[in-house]
Amino acid sequence: MTTVPDQAMERYSRQTKFPGIGEEGQRKLLASRVTLCGVGALGTVLANHLVRAGVGFVRIVDRDFIETHNLQRQVLFDENDVAANLPKAEAAARKLAAINSTIRIEPVVTDIDHTNILELVSDADLILDGTDNFEVRYLINDAAVKLGKPWVYGGCIGSHGQTMTILPGITPCLRCVIESSPPPGMAPTCETAGVLGPAISIIASYQAAEAFKILTGHTELINRDLTYLDVWENVHKSFKVAKLKDLVDCPCCKRREFDWLEGKMGSHTTSLCGRNAVQVAHRASNRLNFEELSQHLGRLGDVTFNRFMLKFAAEGHEFTVFPDGRAIIKGTNDVDKARTLYAKYIGH
Amino acid sequence: MSVKVQIPTPLRQHTEGKDTVETSGATVKEVLDDLGRQFPGITQRLFDGAQVRRFVNVYLNEEDIRYLENLQTPVKDGDTLSIIPAVAGG
Repeated sequence: MTTVPDQAMERYSRQTKFPGIGEEGQRKLLASRVTLCGVGALGTVLANHLVRAGVGFVRIVDRDFIETHNLQRQVLFDENDVAANLPKAEAAARKLAAINSTIRIEPVVTDIDHTNILELVSDADLILDGTDNFEVRYLINDAAVKLGKPWVYGGCIGSHGQTMTILPGITPCLRCVIESSPPPGMAPTCETAGVLGPAISIIASYQAAEAFKILTGHTELINRDLTYLDVWENVHKSFKVAKLKDLVDCPCCKRREFDWLEGKMGSHTTSLCGRNAVQVAHRASNRLNFEELSQHLGRLGDVTFNRFMLKFAAEGHEFTVFPDGRAIIKGTNDVDKARTLYAKYIGH
Repeated sequence: MSVKVQIPTPLRQHTEGKDTVETSGATVKEVLDDLGRQFPGITQRLFDGAQVRRFVNVYLNEEDIRYLENLQTPVKDGDTLSIIPAVAGG
């Protein structure tokens, strides 16, 4: 165990006085590595807890940029970040570095998919879910089960949310409990049902507490239930799911078929929750050259870009293009149309 | 047996906005059938053929019916059946 100077430990004194953590637990947190997938609503609350508590290395992965309607619940962002056109991972990392400069924060602006997830999580002790869709959650679940790493699922919509901790080999995995995701049109999205900040804060805080227990070695205290709550209807329930582990013939944790990780499941084009927007993930082998692209697109109208993204409008749609080749196309939920627009204006 | 069924928000368009429905039946299946008789629109949202849809979990009180006797699980007076769909957002 590395020695930590007393002065550095002082900032965590209100946490180390809590016997469950103590100085030993704090040293474990400082030596821990976490990959946080998604830094939107759940993710900003999670990142805030991790960084303040002194988790030594926090990798924040997010594909998205910040918009004004995020500010209602995404607690690390402000109006300046919207004006600066910053990606969420980058803006979050800047805020978090000002909160705690003594730990390492690594922002990664990318879309998590089967080609990059192992690289993003293989050096982490724990994976946290701050995402907003089941496609990436099943992918996280595949990677976590394959590598034997714990992860904590959280999801919120409207005034309700749910969370569950997955310890591969010990608890059921996500696919044991939620066998498949709702098909399009069968479930509400943030756009149709909205989402309340307080529900987010509670679910993400439960996830963070589970993270602290896992990272300090208190697996005996891990919550083995699926927690479900609704802040508007005063519901708080714990559903007992532990017994599903040995009962379900789970393709993932029992048969070790990693369909998402192997790219058999999941698309590269995603309708974004609550956005009237589609992401087209056309992973470029080289980073896009924005100067070149802006000259090419300049004939259509205004093109603006910075180091992180390029924006332009065409056919009534607003395009935001990222250096890794992804684009978020606003003004449609039609993935085929979005693909067509991408091919037309960005190419490949 | 009188059993309360808790209806999740997205399915309340089929239950005239009700968050809880009083039903009767001796098993989970009979309870859900009774729910479908009272509110016919809900059945196809809950079931895929004879099985509960895979993204919907049904809990009898705190227990997942999959490790009980699934749809044949007996119910008793005063039980609560919760229908919990997967929550995607975040």
